[in-house]
Amino acid sequence: MEILDRLVQALYSGVLNGSVYGLMAIGLTLIWGSLRMLNLAHGALYIAGAYIAYGVLGGLGLPVPVTFALAVGGAALVGLFIQLILINPILEKPGRDSAALIATLAASIIVQSTILLIFGGQTKQLPPVVDGGFKVGTTLISYQGLVVIGAAVVCLLLMTIFLRASRLGLAIRAISQNMDAAKLMGIPIVPAFVVVMVISAALAGLAGVLLGSILFFTPSGGFTPMLMAMVVTIFGGLGSVGGTIWAAYIIGLMESFLAVYVGPSWALPGIFLFMIAMLVIRPNGLLGLGEVRRL
Amino acid sequence: MLKVTDLEAGYGGSQVLHALSLHVGDGETVVVLGPNGHGKSTLLRAISGLIRPSAGRVEFNGVDLTRLPTEQIVGSGVVHIPQGDLPFPEMTVLENLLVGAYRPGAWSERAERIEKVFHLFPALAERKRQLARSLSGGERRMLALGRGLMSKARLLMIDEPSLGLAPLVTEQVYETIDEIKRSGLAILLVDENAEHVAGLADRMYLLEAGVLVREGAAADLLRDEALLAAYLG
Repeated sequence: MEILDRLVQALYSGVLNGSVYGLMAIGLTLIWGSLRMLNLAHGALYIAGAYIAYGVLGGLGLPVPVTFALAVGGAALVGLFIQLILINPILEKPGRDSAALIATLAASIIVQSTILLIFGGQTKQLPPVVDGGFKVGTTLISYQGLVVIGAAVVCLLLMTIFLRASRLGLAIRAISQNMDAAKLMGIPIVPAFVVVMVISAALAGLAGVLLGSILFFTPSGGFTPMLMAMVVTIFGGLGSVGGTIWAAYIIGLMESFLAVYVGPSWALPGIFLFMIAMLVIRPNGLLGLGEVRRL
Repeated sequence: MLKVTDLEAGYGGSQVLHALSLHVGDGETVVVLGPNGHGKSTLLRAISGLIRPSAGRVEFNGVDLTRLPTEQIVGSGVVHIPQGDLPFPEMTVLENLLVGAYRPGAWSERAERIEKVFHLFPALAERKRQLARSLSGGERRMLALGRGLMSKARLLMIDEPSLGLAPLVTEQVYETIDEIKRSGLAILLVDENAEHVAGLADRMYLLEAGVLVREGAAADLLRDEALLAAYLG
């Protein structure tokens, strides 16, 4: 029985990890694909989601689902401000690649410091959307975990449909594949960038809110999820949405299987070793197929 | 319809176009003929706003387009089909066409427009679920033309449609452009081969080193033997 228990444990936490990584990484990859920018504020948006939920819950005492919706909206709003105030002004300037890197790092510091000023540095936790859970063998599967997995799967599906079937989604993919041609189709580039940032920030905020009720968090708690999201994004082939979703679950499962079968301290080093090996063999990522795949 | 007056443009410090003036009338097909590297593509890029003209004026049906962003120029009906197609490689043929109809006025009519494009290019209809990067050179050119027709174009600007194509395919491409012309759309075509455009052009300009050196009815210019010697190669 013990073999089965460990397997259930590894699968459950792997899918849970993968769901959160997917939500985080899809935003990073969208921004990379269209703006060609590494958004170092992504982790700050994640933690902003968690703290906005914490603040709204403590201050206003609204029901948990309403609070979570407000927090996702709040993170999207923070993303909107970052884009309008820090990113848009440097888009047309020479040397925008490094300027964007510095601007997003600055945004991340501003957001984290603001959180620190308001909430202090103690660890916090959010209440779950639903209490309780059930046991499969010795593994406790919480309803909250299932909510996280369900929400992530729904969001990733919606994103895929949005990018394939909507007018705006097609425009975003067009920009990521050939910006000049996209302009000649009459697509306004800068407004499309703003939309991408808002969607990406909302997804990061959602990941923060969902994970905030499972893990404890502090103002700098967005760093590790962002790092994992970067690993996933690179693994999936930068800018490829399909590849990123696959990569999120593969990395999530790999992390939990390493933790369960080899030992928890092997999870992260194992993943990074694997990533280095993969970059040597498939430099364009998992779904690269010999060339860089775009949105 | 389109009126370009004293247009100057270039890249960085080097000026490519010098006080260039031309016009295209309703339903007219105008060809700008010139050797490679003399500013044909720059002309179209300056009209469509991909590069900003340093002086001069571009007017379309009385509206000044000179400093508008590209998406608004496209919105006014001036549609530029660039050299080398620039398809969206990781999109299907159908998705490429849909992006062509991005502007609100065109989007609401996208179904009928796709029907028309497929009627004009049956080969695209057969491959509509295929990724654009899997198409042949000729099919890509057809896709670029079809994508241009998806927007509510009133003037189609086409940049050297025969570039890199086999002779047989080239012939098909110009036949298709002729068909587009007969549908009543105004066309501004830049090309380097007089032979290709002989049957197509109503009026022609000759472009040399960023300056329009001659203008005239296509039939007149094509009768000029010295000229033919220079441009038919």
